[in-house]
Amino acid sequence: MAQNRDKEDYFGPIRRLLVGLIVFALLGVFLIWRIDSPRVERFRLAVIDRVVPSFDWAMAPVTGLVNLVGDFQSYQQLAAQNGDLRRELQQMKAWKEAALQLEQENAKLLDLNNVRLDAKLTYVTGVVMTDSGSPFRQSVLLNVGARDGIVDGWPTMDGIGLVGRISGVGDKTARVILLTDTSSRIPITIQPSGQRAILGGDNTLNPPIEFLENADLVRPGDRVVTSGDGGVFPADLLVGQVALGNDRRMRVRLSADYERLEFLRVLRSRPHEDIFDPGSLLAPQDTPAADLAVIEADG
Amino acid sequence: MVEAPTSRVWVGRLIFLAIALVLIFARLLPLDTRPPIWAAPDWLLAATLAWVVRRPDYAPVFVIAGLFLLTDILFQRPPGLVAALVVILTEMLRARALSIRDMPLALEWGWVATGIIGVTLLDRLVQTVVMTPQAPLGLTLIQMIMTIIFYPLVVAIAHFIFGVTRPALGQVDNRGHRL
Repeated sequence: MAQNRDKEDYFGPIRRLLVGLIVFALLGVFLIWRIDSPRVERFRLAVIDRVVPSFDWAMAPVTGLVNLVGDFQSYQQLAAQNGDLRRELQQMKAWKEAALQLEQENAKLLDLNNVRLDAKLTYVTGVVMTDSGSPFRQSVLLNVGARDGIVDGWPTMDGIGLVGRISGVGDKTARVILLTDTSSRIPITIQPSGQRAILGGDNTLNPPIEFLENADLVRPGDRVVTSGDGGVFPADLLVGQVALGNDRRMRVRLSADYERLEFLRVLRSRPHEDIFDPGSLLAPQDTPAADLAVIEADG
Repeated sequence: MVEAPTSRVWVGRLIFLAIALVLIFARLLPLDTRPPIWAAPDWLLAATLAWVVRRPDYAPVFVIAGLFLLTDILFQRPPGLVAALVVILTEMLRARALSIRDMPLALEWGWVATGIIGVTLLDRLVQTVVMTPQAPLGLTLIQMIMTIIFYPLVVAIAHFIFGVTRPALGQVDNRGHRL
């Protein structure tokens, strides 16, 4: 430091040593992270769990204020917007009528067939506290965590469509990796054709569809839902619609409103039970094991 | 007013810390969760470099190390890497602060730009060597260039609003040491 130049004879080397130690320690942290990532990630979550909720008192009003200013600017187009909304509402009413009729019909048919749907999907609703803070990572932090029973891997939706999955749970907070993040991979089904594929995020608003078997069967506008493959997610959660990107790749226009994620539902999904056992010989309980071995050797 | 210069240093340090925390806070606000097409400048890095070049005594190395480790943790970056690189860069600039002081702004800008490019490239290089998943190259470059472009603005704000001026030649602190 410039002001210590007179004392540099004894202070300079100590200072240089300290700086060296700091750099060494920081690089050490990086190396430990690279070697034992889960432990350091847990530490990271613990830090976030401690730091971010203490910001919360200021974060909510500032976010609200900025959004208010944004809304105020949009008041200028209020009249035009109002007209558009009225027109849209008229169309929606027709659709609502159709949906109600279909719902009744569906309920009747299900009842006739005695079908049991998966009734286990209940949810916890959380508020978005912060985003990832970096243009390179697409994730948000929710204000629900392990104390609310959140578990890693659960799907997260806004009111309409899938938003992402829980990846990292602290005591009071949980991180949601959005579908747009480069590390997000979700198994999907494209609906009328039933094609299975993977939705891989690439840091753009419309993630591309990967590993599609037969692209001819898929048209822009097709519905995309989760497939439940691999037991990662429950099946049939709405993701979005197929769209053709500028680069001629099939992409998905997400149904969830990514512009303003505010309240998110975390679905309590349990892994469905898999049948691993190929089935074994049925035998009376008291048959000795030795006899069984003989029977198997003969057969 | 005998103690004025020393207490002014502490006030300067507190102001630097407060600005840094506000910048981190602003980046965490969930205003728009869409993936961006372009990247905003890294204001915290620009501010830190401006402070180190102009008033090194306001930005102690411990504070810089702590702040950047915190941002590494909060912003989902590999923890420690950027912090270590920034500490090295600020130490190099700090050692040259006396000679940079006499330079015109353009030359200072050149030094800082070289430093920012160095940190970005080294960060990427190390991440490539240890094979971690990386951010898109385009966005990284945009952020680097934006940070360099906006550096003079940060300097102007620091100069005119927060009074972070280069010490004049021959200026002394209260113990008679030259600044």
